[in-house]
Amino acid sequence: MPLPLYYFLSITAVNILMSWALYLPYRMAHLHFLVVANMAISGYTAAFMVLSLQLPFWLALLTGFLLGAIIGFVVAQFIGDAPTFAVVIVGFTFIYITRTVIENTEAVGGTMGLFGLPNIGGDPAVHRWTILAILYGLVLLVGFLIHRFDHSQLGRSASAAFIDRDLTTSLGIDIKKLGILLQTFSCMLAGGCGVLYGFIYKSFHLDYFTFHVVGILMTIIFVGGYKTLWGTVLAAPILYGGPLLFPPEIASWRIVIYGALLIFVLVLKPEGFITTRFVYRVEALLSRKGTKQSLSTNSQEDV
Amino acid sequence: MKKLMVFGVLVTLLLTAGLGFAQTKVAVSEWQIPFLNCLTGPLASHGSMYQWSTNRAAADINNAGGIAGKPVQVIGVDTANDPQKGTVEMARIVKESLVSLGPVPEPVIMAAMPIAVENQMLSITATTSYEYASKFFPWTVAWFPPYPKRFPPLAKAWAEQFSDMKQVIQFVEPFGPWPMMAEAHVAGLKEAGANVLKPIEVPTDAVTFGPLVVKALEQKPDGIIFACNAEKIAKMIKELKSRGWKKMDHILVFSSGDDAPLYTVGGDDINGIQVYNYVNPDIDSPRWNAFKTAFMKDHNGMTPFSLSTNYYDALFMIKEAIEKTGVAGDPSKLKEERKKIADYCANVKNFQGLMFSWDMKNGEPTNKPLFIFEIQGGKKKLVKEIKLKG
Repeated sequence: MPLPLYYFLSITAVNILMSWALYLPYRMAHLHFLVVANMAISGYTAAFMVLSLQLPFWLALLTGFLLGAIIGFVVAQFIGDAPTFAVVIVGFTFIYITRTVIENTEAVGGTMGLFGLPNIGGDPAVHRWTILAILYGLVLLVGFLIHRFDHSQLGRSASAAFIDRDLTTSLGIDIKKLGILLQTFSCMLAGGCGVLYGFIYKSFHLDYFTFHVVGILMTIIFVGGYKTLWGTVLAAPILYGGPLLFPPEIASWRIVIYGALLIFVLVLKPEGFITTRFVYRVEALLSRKGTKQSLSTNSQEDV
Repeated sequence: MKKLMVFGVLVTLLLTAGLGFAQTKVAVSEWQIPFLNCLTGPLASHGSMYQWSTNRAAADINNAGGIAGKPVQVIGVDTANDPQKGTVEMARIVKESLVSLGPVPEPVIMAAMPIAVENQMLSITATTSYEYASKFFPWTVAWFPPYPKRFPPLAKAWAEQFSDMKQVIQFVEPFGPWPMMAEAHVAGLKEAGANVLKPIEVPTDAVTFGPLVVKALEQKPDGIIFACNAEKIAKMIKELKSRGWKKMDHILVFSSGDDAPLYTVGGDDINGIQVYNYVNPDIDSPRWNAFKTAFMKDHNGMTPFSLSTNYYDALFMIKEAIEKTGVAGDPSKLKEERKKIADYCANVKNFQGLMFSWDMKNGEPTNKPLFIFEIQGGKKKLVKEIKLKG
C-alpha cells in the first residue's frame, strides 16, 4: 500500500472515531472535551508500558481502552447530568491538567516526548496493516453500535435531553445514567484512539493532543452534521484529505477556509451537511427498495 | 626505473580518477529538494525565515553553476505545524526524493521522521536540538552538539563576567527541549560559583507576567536567564524594569528567545541585556556580508536571527555531499545514493558554513562556536565567543 494512502486512511479513521467520541455525549448536549485528555493519558500510558516495561502492544492497547473508560466513568459520576457549559469547562481543565502532569513526568519524556515506538509484529508492513485493521474494525463496530443506539429508546432519550432536560426527566428518564453511559463509552473509545494515534506516528509528543485537535473534531462534527453519525463519516476524510490536495497557494489559506466553512454551515445549515431528515429519507428509500425487491422475489417464487 | 614505475602508477591513478569523475553523469536536469517546513500556522514567521534562507542558498548555488552542473530547486512543503499533515507529506516525499530538508518543528519531526528512517532517506532537521535529531540517526544529522556539551560552558562564561552575581534564577517555559536547555545551564552556573535559585515556570498560555516576575524577585536574584518564548521574555523584562531592575547585563536570553518579538515588543527596555546564539552578525566575510545585506533588505532592516543560517548551510552540505560522492540522482540507485549522502553528511570534515567551518562526527557537530552579545538599540554587540571542544 502506498505510504501516503496509509497515513491518510489511518489518520482519517482516528478522526472519525474521535469525532464519534465527541458526537455521542453531544447527543445530549454534552461537549465532552475530556476525550482529548483521555487520548493523551491512555496513549502515554501505553507507550510507557511498551517502551519501559517491555509489555506487548495488545496489552497496552487494552489498558488504553480500560483506562479511558475508568477515567470517563469516574468523571461522569460528577458531570453525568451537568449542563453543557460545565462539561466543557471540565474537559478543558482536564486537557490542561493532563498536559501539566505529562510535562513534569520524566518517565514519559516530559516536554520532549517519547520516541521509537516499535513496529507491531516487528515489521513495518505488518504494523501498517495491523493498525488499519484495528482502526477500520473499530470504525465498523463503533459505527454499528452508534447506529443501533441512535435507533434505540436510549437514543431517543438522548435526543429529548438535548432539547429539554426537565421535560425528559419528567418522562422518567434518568439523565445522569444516560450521561454516565455515553461519557464512559466516549472516553473508552478515545483512550484506544490515543494509543493507536501514537503507534501511527511511532512517537508521542504533547502537541499531538492540543486544542488544535479539539478544533479539528469540532469542525468535522459541525460541518458534517452533529445529529447523525454519518456527518462525521463524510466530513472527516474531506476536511483532512482536501487540504492535502490543495495547491501551495491555497494551502496557506487552509485555516481561513475551515473557519469560513464552519461559519457558512452554522449560518446556512445549522445541522450540518448530513441532517437527520436526510438520513431518514435515505433509510426509507433503502427500506422501500428492499421491500420491493423482497416482494418481487416472493411473487416470483409464488409463480 | 623505480621512479618511472611510481610515476606510471601515479599517472594511471590520476587518469582513472579523472575518468571516474567524468563518467559520473548526472541523471537529473534539475535537483529538486523538498523542504518540510511550517509555512502557515503559529510558527509561520520562523518557517518563512528558513524558507528565505534556503531559497537564498539555492540561488547562490545556481549562480555558481548548480550542483554537479545542474540547477537546484528547493520545494517548500507546508506542514502547518500539524503532525497529521506532516506525516502524509513525508510519506509522499520518501517515495522518490533523494534527500530532503526539515521537518520543522519538533512535533512534526517526531511524527514524520520515523517515515524517513524507515525508508532510509536523509532529512536534515537543522533547527532542532541534538536530543531530538539523534533519535533518528543516521537518517538525519544534528546541527548542534548535545546540551551537556554546549550549555554549561556558555552559562559559565556568562556568569563569570560579573563578580557580583551570586544568585541566578531562570524563567523556563515547558515547551519541547527548553526545560532541558535550562537544566544544562545550571551545571555551568554552579561551576562559576553561582547559587541557582528555584526556577520560575512560565506557562505556555500565560498572558500576564507581573505575578511571575514578583515570584522571581522574592527570591532576590542578581542574575536572570530566560528560557522561554521571545514575546514573553520581552514582556517580563518590561515587568522587571517597572519593578526597579537595573542590572540589564545580568539578564541572559537563550538562543530561541533571540527572535523578532524580543526586539519589537521589548523596544528600548531590552537595551543592555545579553543574548546567546549561533549567529554572529559582526563576522566580516564576503559571503556572510552578502547574506546579511539581502536578509536585512527583505526583513525590514533586521539582522539575521538565530537559526536563520541553518538551512542555508544544510543545502550547501547536501551540494557538497552530492558532488563529493558522485551521486548522479539516478532513480535506479536511489537507495545507494541516499546512503552515500547520509554517510557523507554524518562525518563531513571542515565544512565551510556561511559563518564558520566545522566538522561532524557520526552526525554530531564537534566544534561549533556559540556567541554572547549585548543588545543596544536593537543591535547586537559581541561580548564573547565560546568555542566548544569536540
